[in-house]
Amino acid sequence: MNDLIFVVEDTDEDVEAIERAISRSHPRLRPEFFRSGAEVLARLAEPGPVRPWLMLLDLNMPGESGIDVLRRARADRTLDDLTIVVFSSSEDQAETDACNAAGADSYIFKPLNFSLFQSVLSQTLDYWRSRPRSGNVARMVVPPPGESSAQT
Amino acid sequence: MRESDAGWAAALHRMWSSVSHITARDDLAQLILPPLQALPGVVAVWGLRHAADDSVLEYRWTGVPLEGERRDLARAAAAGLTPPGLAGLGFAQVLRDRFDLDGEAAGTILVAVDETADVPVIRTCLGQVIEVTREAIRQLGQRRAEHAQQTRDALLAEASLQMDAVLDTTQTLRRIPRMAVPAIAEGCLVYVVEDGRPHLRSSVHVDMRRLSGLLGDPAVTAHLTELVDGALKGVGLPADAALLATRAADVQPLRARGEVVGVMVFLFDRDDAAIPPVAFLRDLAARAALAIDNGSRYERRRRDVVTMQQHLLPTRLPEIDGLEAAAAYLVGDRIIEVGGDFYDVVAAADGSAAALIGDVCGRGVEAAALTGMARHTLAALLQEGATPARAMTRLNARLRLDGSWRFVTAGVASMRLSAGGVVVDWVSAGHPAPVVLRHAGPPERGDGGGAPLGVLALPSIAGSRLVLAPGDTLIIFTDGLTESRGPDGVMFEDHALDEALDRLRGRPIDELVRELAAASAAFGGARTDDIAVLAIRAGNCERGERHE
Repeated sequence: MNDLIFVVEDTDEDVEAIERAISRSHPRLRPEFFRSGAEVLARLAEPGPVRPWLMLLDLNMPGESGIDVLRRARADRTLDDLTIVVFSSSEDQAETDACNAAGADSYIFKPLNFSLFQSVLSQTLDYWRSRPRSGNVARMVVPPPGESSAQT
Repeated sequence: MRESDAGWAAALHRMWSSVSHITARDDLAQLILPPLQALPGVVAVWGLRHAADDSVLEYRWTGVPLEGERRDLARAAAAGLTPPGLAGLGFAQVLRDRFDLDGEAAGTILVAVDETADVPVIRTCLGQVIEVTREAIRQLGQRRAEHAQQTRDALLAEASLQMDAVLDTTQTLRRIPRMAVPAIAEGCLVYVVEDGRPHLRSSVHVDMRRLSGLLGDPAVTAHLTELVDGALKGVGLPADAALLATRAADVQPLRARGEVVGVMVFLFDRDDAAIPPVAFLRDLAARAALAIDNGSRYERRRRDVVTMQQHLLPTRLPEIDGLEAAAAYLVGDRIIEVGGDFYDVVAAADGSAAALIGDVCGRGVEAAALTGMARHTLAALLQEGATPARAMTRLNARLRLDGSWRFVTAGVASMRLSAGGVVVDWVSAGHPAPVVLRHAGPPERGDGGGAPLGVLALPSIAGSRLVLAPGDTLIIFTDGLTESRGPDGVMFEDHALDEALDRLRGRPIDELVRELAAASAAFGGARTDDIAVLAIRAGNCERGERHE
């Protein structure tokens, strides 16, 4: 598992909040942001060794919706190891059921309060990092600039 | 080593300054390992984070990468062993130190040195780093506890806000676990007592597949039932965490107004330190219970209102030759008192018919009593052959005699078949004007006029005449239909009535009234008042044949 996660979100405020929350709770993670379903699907289709281990997916987006992205990603067997977390403010139970049926690993409700927002995101990331699919985390330590001459 | 001492002291100071600002333990390794790596003779520094059972959760390193089989060597070295493989990596010696803190994952730092290293000095430096690390993790834990408290405060505030915002029990039941997961627990199940027994009404887990697996296991559901039954009886039974495939579980009765209305079950995978205090879970359960109880009371009250309203209206309309009639009544979304709208259709012995509609102002028991009286007075007098004006005058006198401040708007459409269609004499006492939906043509509005009954000693009644051709439909209604307002304050009458009528032209008459009322209710949303709609369609003008 690597540190890369994909975040698919079209709302500026939510992009900013997710970025801030992850940088505080999981500073080692590298979130890559996509503003539409089409963008992320194109990126997922790119060949290359570095794949995200988790994708945070908004549902209501112009063009390809979150559920479309979810279905397309789950149809791709090379993405079997990708944890997909739907992160939505929708209260529609039918949408939740559709996401679960389409293979979402989590359906998480976006809170309004930032402290709660941060906590919800952090707990979700912690949960999926600790699951067997993710395995243990192993990382090379990169020292801060100028801190030492240690090899990394 | 005087110069190196000064260098190390500066490095240690920088390390201390940096670690006191980190927000996550993930950041720690990059601050504490490199200064040790920089000491003369150090070949590698390895950091291990331990789980509660002492297995290793995370590996960090500088110098020689800690990957593959080297992890076995690292774990053995952390346990105090000296596996031969270490020498193969060029390690002359591996120095080991460890910290343990209550409620926090323990850590081990291994410093591998070559023959040139000043081992006692490096051991001292390692000890100092361990102390700095221990303090940094203690501070992190403290900040995490403060953040957890903020999160819990925010959750309670948001829970109160969200749960107070709805009176729909189903929605409340969905909201409760969705707010709790994963903010304070990995899973949450809500049981509600219905017909004396608990029923699982809502369940959420951060891992829905796992929850589905759990709830599909009869042994798990039997255990959950046992826990829930216990909680309902006030007996706190221990949860079998292994059976529930979770680290810990908590069961809270949902108590509102002295009555247990259900049970909440929380499932935790997180460390003990991250599990909220029981007092918090009790508080959250109390708020949830109150929201569920409010919703249930509201729904019971609403059911009573709808039932009572049905008793105030005719159960069926009479069949009248040459005419089709249908009515719809919608109780407003947030209405919890009986309203005053009424309607009826009366067939007279001479073959004529009258459709009546009215609206008693206000709501509640007194309005309901007046509604019943007004409808029956008008219907009985019309059936006996009284003219609409006479019937309204009698009702006016009765209302004034009763001394009620409430007034009544009313309209009566007297209908008789003629060669050209149906002649309608519309008599109004302050009631909204009717609409004629032409079979082939735009909708037309009739006249209103007159003054509400119960106000003046001598009633003011207005009259007008309309003619329905075969297939035309007379639509009479209460103001709930036309005056429902959208979010921008615009009324249904001004914005969407004609459009709805055009759309519904030619539909079967029962569908027409139902859809028209529904369109207005959808336009007004939760603010909609009660809506009564009564429609009469002219059939074939020859007596005895119904228009199809």
